Amino acid sequence: MSVPPTYLDKVRRPIAEANGLPNAHYIDPAIFEQEREALMFRQWAGLGVAADVPEAGDAKPITFLGMPLLLVRGRDDVVRVFQNICRHRGMILVEEPRKIEGAIRCPYHSWCYGTDGRLVSTPHVGGPGRNTHDSIDRATLGLIEVRSHIWRDVVWINVSGDAAPFEEVMADVMTRWAEFEQPLYHGGSDSVLTLELKTNWKLAVENYCESYHLPWVHPGLNSYSRLEDHYNIEKPGRYSGQGTEVYRQVTNENGEPFPDFAGISAKWDTAAEYITVYPNVLFGVHRDHAFAIILLPDGPGRTVEHIHLYYAVPKSDSGLRQRNTQLWKTVFEEDIFVVEGMQRGRHATGFDGGRFSPAMDSPTHCFHDWVASQLQRHSTYAGAAE
Amino acid sequence: MKVLDDMLIAAHARDDRAALVDLYARAADTVNDLDAACFYLTHAYVFALELGDARASGLHARLKAEGREA
Repeated sequence: MSVPPTYLDKVRRPIAEANGLPNAHYIDPAIFEQEREALMFRQWAGLGVAADVPEAGDAKPITFLGMPLLLVRGRDDVVRVFQNICRHRGMILVEEPRKIEGAIRCPYHSWCYGTDGRLVSTPHVGGPGRNTHDSIDRATLGLIEVRSHIWRDVVWINVSGDAAPFEEVMADVMTRWAEFEQPLYHGGSDSVLTLELKTNWKLAVENYCESYHLPWVHPGLNSYSRLEDHYNIEKPGRYSGQGTEVYRQVTNENGEPFPDFAGISAKWDTAAEYITVYPNVLFGVHRDHAFAIILLPDGPGRTVEHIHLYYAVPKSDSGLRQRNTQLWKTVFEEDIFVVEGMQRGRHATGFDGGRFSPAMDSPTHCFHDWVASQLQRHSTYAGAAE
Repeated sequence: MKVLDDMLIAAHARDDRAALVDLYARAADTVNDLDAACFYLTHAYVFALELGDARASGLHARLKAEGREA
């Protein structure tokens, strides 16, 4: 595609005049492929969390929009991301999460790689019992590393390798939440949720961004967190979401909450914020816990949400953790019918992308504007490449 | 060698890689041909590498001494 479609200009109009992205952006495999490049591979996108590989040698294969990747914590304790293939015949190296005791051995011809990606052995490559050959330069045949960066425990990747440096791209949100720039402790196995959704990943973002739906979809919040207690958060081109001014801590049977993150300002006594960092990472921060949700798209109409909860201390109250996980599970599950219903709605040919409430939907419009801008940029880039 | 072959097949069948290191190293010592010995040593070395087994360095040294490993 060398010419951006003109309807993207309509999406990018001021909110009062704009339409949302049309149906094809949710159901058309060809557009999904374009968005894979423009919205995921060329960005800093969330892949997983460092807590997925807590110990040296831990390896977890993750399919990222069809691309087989391998998240590994090396013996040097560095978390890296590789393409999960052998440099010899392109065989998948690791099929299931597991501990790499020594080397990663390809199950096909047994080429071996260190957990840092170095190619360390090429058995019989020069003939039986001859493990070297002049044409096989091990120094240039290590695992293909994917550019990665860890922030708030999320492993972000830039598949194309040419995005601006992570700290530059994320500078605004890092500044916004600078007070929370301190150790995060994953709650462990009781603090992980996985939701498989029959929806396009963008609808999960859109629903997460805005507070407009809260009183209808999450009526349990009305008693203490009313719509008017929320505010929109928007940084065009980077992130959007919503905040609340009446966050109430969960407590255990003795009325004790989780310990707070250290040194945060009084604003956070009652505030909490929920932000989507484009493209696919949904964050929540509170005085006493945080969460990260990574959306892994699996085709136009399917998305897997990986939800991880974090605390300010390494050993928090496990009963309280489980309670908190259950509370969030209820909220997140309440959203499922909405994101799946909107996905089914995208097959109605009369839908024109919809309209936005200028008062309530600006975080969603902010996201659509970003999507459209990146697709326009990608179209221009692809056109130039042709 | 027949007994050793059977043990190797059994170790492969139960995916006992630590045993494979030992058995392939022993197989290397049962043959007089250098290529055949290095073939077995290579297998012992690869499984030792995979396991992070301390025997890997000695096996590597033997292969390198024969010009068969970098």
